[in-house]
Amino acid sequence: MSWETVIGLEVHVQLSTNTKLFSGASTTFGAEPNTNVDLIDLGLPGVLPVANREAFHKAIRFGLATNAEINQVSMFDRKNYFYPDLPKGYQITQMEKPIVGKGSIMINVDGVEKLINITRAHLEEDAGKSIHDLFDGETGVDLNRAGTPLLEIVSEPEIASAKEAVAYFKAIHQLVTFLDICDGNMAQGSMRCDVNVSIKKEADDVLGTRAEIKNINSFKFIERAINFEVTRQIKILEKGKTVVQETRLYDSVNNETRSMRSKEAANDYRYFPEPDLLPVVISDKELEDIRNTLPELPKQKEIRFIAEHKLEESEAKILASSKAMANLFEDATSKTKDSNLIAKWLVGDVSALLNKDNISIEESKLSSDNFATLIERISDKTISGKIAKSVLEDIWDSGKDVDDIIKDKGLVQIQDESILENVAKKIIENNPDQVEAYKGGKEKLFGFFVGQVMKETQGKANPQSVNEILKKLLA
Amino acid sequence: MDKETVATISYLSRLAFDKDNEDKITKDLENIIKFVDQLESIDTSNIDPLTSPLEQTAKTRVDEVTAKNRKEKFLQNAPDANEDYFLVPRVVE
Amino acid sequence: MSIQYKTIKELTLMLKAKEISNKELIQETFDLIESNSHLNAFVTLNKENALNKAKAIDNKASDLSLSGIPIAQKDLFVTKNLRTTCGSNMLSNFIPPYSATVIENLENAGCISVGKTNMDEFAMGSSNETSFYGNVQNPWGENLVPGGSSGGSAAAVAAGIVPAATGTDTGGSIRQPASLCGITGIKPTYGRISRWGMIAFASSLDQAGPMARTAEDCAIMMNEMCSHDLKDTTSLNKEIPDFTKNLNTPIKGLKIGIVKEFDLSTLDNEVVKIFEESKKHYESLGVEFVEVSLPNINLSVPTYYVVAPAECSSNLSRFDGVKFGKRCKNPKDLEDLYIRSRSEGFGEEVKRRILIGSYVLSAGFYDAYYKKAQQVRRLIKNDFDNAFSKVDLIMTPTTRGSAFEAGSMNDPIQMYLEDLFTVPANLAGLPGISIPSGYVDNKPLGVQLIGNSLQESQLLNVAHCFQTSSDWHLRTPSSEIR
Repeated sequence: MSWETVIGLEVHVQLSTNTKLFSGASTTFGAEPNTNVDLIDLGLPGVLPVANREAFHKAIRFGLATNAEINQVSMFDRKNYFYPDLPKGYQITQMEKPIVGKGSIMINVDGVEKLINITRAHLEEDAGKSIHDLFDGETGVDLNRAGTPLLEIVSEPEIASAKEAVAYFKAIHQLVTFLDICDGNMAQGSMRCDVNVSIKKEADDVLGTRAEIKNINSFKFIERAINFEVTRQIKILEKGKTVVQETRLYDSVNNETRSMRSKEAANDYRYFPEPDLLPVVISDKELEDIRNTLPELPKQKEIRFIAEHKLEESEAKILASSKAMANLFEDATSKTKDSNLIAKWLVGDVSALLNKDNISIEESKLSSDNFATLIERISDKTISGKIAKSVLEDIWDSGKDVDDIIKDKGLVQIQDESILENVAKKIIENNPDQVEAYKGGKEKLFGFFVGQVMKETQGKANPQSVNEILKKLLA
Repeated sequence: MDKETVATISYLSRLAFDKDNEDKITKDLENIIKFVDQLESIDTSNIDPLTSPLEQTAKTRVDEVTAKNRKEKFLQNAPDANEDYFLVPRVVE
Repeated sequence: MSIQYKTIKELTLMLKAKEISNKELIQETFDLIESNSHLNAFVTLNKENALNKAKAIDNKASDLSLSGIPIAQKDLFVTKNLRTTCGSNMLSNFIPPYSATVIENLENAGCISVGKTNMDEFAMGSSNETSFYGNVQNPWGENLVPGGSSGGSAAAVAAGIVPAATGTDTGGSIRQPASLCGITGIKPTYGRISRWGMIAFASSLDQAGPMARTAEDCAIMMNEMCSHDLKDTTSLNKEIPDFTKNLNTPIKGLKIGIVKEFDLSTLDNEVVKIFEESKKHYESLGVEFVEVSLPNINLSVPTYYVVAPAECSSNLSRFDGVKFGKRCKNPKDLEDLYIRSRSEGFGEEVKRRILIGSYVLSAGFYDAYYKKAQQVRRLIKNDFDNAFSKVDLIMTPTTRGSAFEAGSMNDPIQMYLEDLFTVPANLAGLPGISIPSGYVDNKPLGVQLIGNSLQESQLLNVAHCFQTSSDWHLRTPSSEIR
């Protein structure tokens, strides 16, 4: 039995506007509960929403970058349901006329490119947060998040595997961060997705019944949740039974999806046009302005890095792939001209540290100023490359200033040739046997002398100078 | 208007009726729907629905923070709250 | 009482001439409220604040247009720190943290809000019999309804307690009580007055408006109530004229339309007589009457009773017992909290309309009901647009009859049909005014004029000319003509 997986993703992207979609409350993350709440967000009797134009602009950037139709006249609708973190008892969303229509995005899975079509992207307000486990027998409601603008991006059901789903989610993540419409911080909930999974027989044209897994916010969990769900559905179908169309949650602790217990499953949202908001019109000029000020996308950046900085394609690709990485590179190259050195360190040591800790640059303690200074200190030979590695690790752990670290640990490279000569002479004096052996032909012992000098100078000797001096003295 | 429909829309509206009122409300709803069914009689094909009597488009806001922190006031007026959160009976998802 | 039945204009002159101090005026107002407590027109009084404000004006005079004038505010407008109930049990303990734009506008013009008036619950009703706080009495007769939903405001003005009050009108809730109480009330063009702070019933139909003894006073109120409010996207950004400027413009040559499709023969003879006599009066002022056809107008009531409940069913979802308002005791879980808080907090009529609203919006019924109704709504609006290419105004009775006895109308649909003449203007977003035009068994009756979009000045002008040549609006329940 040959089964085919059909996946569609609905990605919710929190737009990085200063204020909410319909009120002037701040959207800053991490504020004390219920402090970023305006009268409008609370849904008090008599309040009215007023749309945030910047949210439209950010949505349009997404549309332009995905070659999508932009609906210059778009409208809002109400989606009615009851939940404690939905203050008005309805969510204002866009059903009939979303701001962005059909578009597409390219994904890359193990080197193979595939175009995924996007059905639409629309604006809607986020709900607040319900906190279930803090209080005995009660659920706490924090409305800070209520009203935050979301861009809901709906893909066509063209994703065929968990891997493709992750690649798609990553592609969206990269795009929205590059477009500067979302901060991409998944741990903070800036991006989440609902995954619709269904299984059908390869030969069938009709799609199978789908289950929706809600609110997944990490690349890892998307993959696991889908894999579990596919297995679960196949098992059901193989027994000849039918899959229930329902909403499920992914339990990351037990690595399984479970049916949501709430009766929301039977919900009729009774959508109707929002009478408090009139259609929003984006003028041709506005659209042109947005198009002309679109931030540079990864591919363009890659090409520019190769041209301007003479980087290798592989390096340029890595540097251009993440906005934070690209920013680090550009900040550093504006302070010190050694692009190749910067690229080498970013692609090498910094990437290694990121992978080790499995965090993103925004989450690390490495600032671009500090990194630029580190490169400068290598360039001007204040410290050696080897020492620099340990300094980087120190910055990584502590976030301390490069110069402070160098000073505190006395890591300044010893450049003074007279000092180095004295150390070298001392080593040679103290190791007559090795000198004899070396001069007798054991060339490999050169490394021994180098090592001893390094040890004596706590690694601070300038390696090239040490080499030259020893060669001279041992000749 | 059968009992099941009334039960469904009552639930959607989060309203409940006791036995005595159930029949009355069902009858009332039936009559009202019958009354509005008159609308069927008229041909509206190709007519654009009118959502708002205004022939204008929306004014929008500039993306600047204008709201004040009114946490205390809001929580004070809530039926049940502690110093940080509005409280409801524990919700099980 | 020296101030009873006085108009804004008269009181302003008295205050300026120092015939009465601000404090005395307000004190006497509260005495009137007290002596008329059987009307049950007020839900919450603002006595201390009102007296303080009056004293302040006595200490430092002001020339604001409504300086010192006592105004009653319908309890549908949120008033900061002053309880706002909307006639419902659900909000019996609600103290808003902000005030409606309309309230702020009026208070910035110097008026003194003396209290919040009783109303049909959440503005749903035509007789002020659905309020949690009890029925309102029509000052014209014991056990008579004042009309609704702005029954308290209408009664307060009709009884001469205050010269003017604010009302709101979604399907006739200013005009109908004005008619039944013998006062003047105007619903402006949709969008003229900001809805910020107006507790929403049906968002695309709701409008605030003044209720007063004369068209002139309504114009004075309109000047302050209307504004372009950035907090309300549906607020019009059109020039606001001085509504008092053209009151005396001669109306000779104006064309007024009579709606062919309104079969007045179904009304009581008395009612028809008053209508016909009004017509003659206007003709004597030089007006020409023309028949106009609005073929879809008789579908207004069913259209309204799909659209309004639909919008209200959604607008009232915020009353869930979670963040404000009443919550049931000891909810055992979230569902119980919602269901019991709402079932206990809302009255019968509100529940009925919420259910109808949920029904007409639900999957499977949306196209046949809600969408259909909004399409018919456009047809009705088109009919008006057509008619206004031929006439300047349209005249209809305001109500089918005069005030009826409380408790006598038990059939919801019969009550809905009372709105026949008033809902069309709400559906089309047009301004409408009700003018006292006669009496049936010593009970007042109004006649309605509907204007084209933004033509409130014209409506007030025609009403004023009618009033300066007649005395229907000068009669009072105490059987004197002032």
